[in-house]
Amino acid sequence: MLSGEELQILTTSFWVAANAVLWSLPFAIAAAFALSRPRFPGKLVLDAIAHLPIILPPVLVGFVLLILLGRRGPLGALLAETGIQFAFTAKGAALATAVMIFPVFVRSIRLAFEATDRGLFEAAAVLRAGPWDRFLSVALPLAGPGILAGMVMAFATALGEFGAVITFAANIPGKTQTLPLAIYAALQQPGGEAEAARLATLSFLLASLGLAAAALLQRWTARE
Amino acid sequence: MSLLEANIRLRQGAFTLEARLEAPGDGITVLFGPSGSGKSTLLAVLAGLRTADRQTIVLNGRDLAALPSHRRGVGLVFQDARLFPHLSVRRNIEYAVRRAPRTGPAMEEIARFFDIVPLLDRRVGNLSGGEKSRVALARALAARPDFLLLDEPFAALDGPRRRAFIQVLVHMHRSWHLPMLVVTHNIDDAAGLGSHLVALKEGQVVAAGEFTEASRGPEFQALLDSRDTGTAVRLAHSQHGGHWLRADQVLIAAEPPKAISARNILAGTVQRLMPEPDDGVLVELATEAGVIVSRLTQEAVKELNLAPQKKAWALVKAHAL
Repeated sequence: MLSGEELQILTTSFWVAANAVLWSLPFAIAAAFALSRPRFPGKLVLDAIAHLPIILPPVLVGFVLLILLGRRGPLGALLAETGIQFAFTAKGAALATAVMIFPVFVRSIRLAFEATDRGLFEAAAVLRAGPWDRFLSVALPLAGPGILAGMVMAFATALGEFGAVITFAANIPGKTQTLPLAIYAALQQPGGEAEAARLATLSFLLASLGLAAAALLQRWTARE
Repeated sequence: MSLLEANIRLRQGAFTLEARLEAPGDGITVLFGPSGSGKSTLLAVLAGLRTADRQTIVLNGRDLAALPSHRRGVGLVFQDARLFPHLSVRRNIEYAVRRAPRTGPAMEEIARFFDIVPLLDRRVGNLSGGEKSRVALARALAARPDFLLLDEPFAALDGPRRRAFIQVLVHMHRSWHLPMLVVTHNIDDAAGLGSHLVALKEGQVVAAGEFTEASRGPEFQALLDSRDTGTAVRLAHSQHGGHWLRADQVLIAAEPPKAISARNILAGTVQRLMPEPDDGVLVELATEAGVIVSRLTQEAVKELNLAPQKKAWALVKAHAL
């Protein structure tokens, strides 16, 4: 059974991962759809930007967020006036995670869009559907199962995010401490290995469940 | 007056499509040509799915060239139907109905017309080739286009189903007064459908005009395999559109034939004798059903004493029509 503290860590982890996926979703869909198109000006640049979080050290991503969204950062100061604070909050942990899962998310959704027969968009166009209409009525529903699989995959990835979160949101128990951060904290304590092992097992189980769910969804999509 | 007028130039590697095209509003125009002559590319430009280097496209006095495909009012039925796989047959047709600019025939009426009532709640993945083609036609009609383009929609169908589909097309054209441009490289399909003809060869228009007239010219006949040399005829008793009567399917008699099995005997006057390189002669005969050609040997022409202005009788086996 899980202790109250472990339950709290799990709740924070789920909250952070779920919000990261939801916040990332519209941008990931837009970027994936754009990148699935044969060619357009700026495609290479967009592709590079979408993949940037994979290449950059996670700590650097967290640091950039801190510069931009910290209380004295250009965006952070603006947001602070409206009472919104990201740095050192659970929201900040979700934002850092959203940035980090973006490349994985875009990749899986892009595959779903690329698998769609482009001829169907032409068929929709000659039935008087405009570009937005075609996107909403043809592209999105056909990529739907792939997007869902991508969401599960991104959620599983989000549960494991560490570097960017600890840099931007810190490791505050009950507030921003997610599973990997708690494992790290436990390892810092003398005699905390047993607790770290329990949390690591939990983390492993969750990641495996996520992978299995994504695989099942993909199989279901292929059968459809 | 032409309903659709287009002047298109498109370079694509070594291939250049340069076509002036006119299609009247009161009939079916057939766009004929061998594979690779640019027929499908031309349709894609007319529908706004491709942009040409130079294009003037006027439909009913409205300039379409600068409009995106969804604003042109030009429907297109693709060779591979392109039904939406995530929607049922009914929802595919409703997709078009919801976006149509004016109310048209009701769903049930369309479904009955195309004989797809039992298919309405089926998924499109489970349909046969013929069923898919009929649903694609129904969906195109439901969008209420001002002009309908069809890119060999019967290419996947075999003999009898193909003929039935062509009859549906002719019936659809007549019932809904929908002007059409149909692409085909099959001469029988072309003659069965077309009241007007535009023939393409290597991206250039080589023949255009009223079907029977335009298909008689040497430029058009040169597009055909020599076994397909012939003329388009329209018989009074036919339920079908027209027929392509091959020169090899017509016998000639110098006197009125009696007691023979051929069902169609057409009296006429010899117009021209056209020698062919390999001992053959094409005899052109003006009859009540139109001009007919027959391929005879030089020896037969001599024996029958055929010459321009002489009376002669064409014998056509019923199954040739």
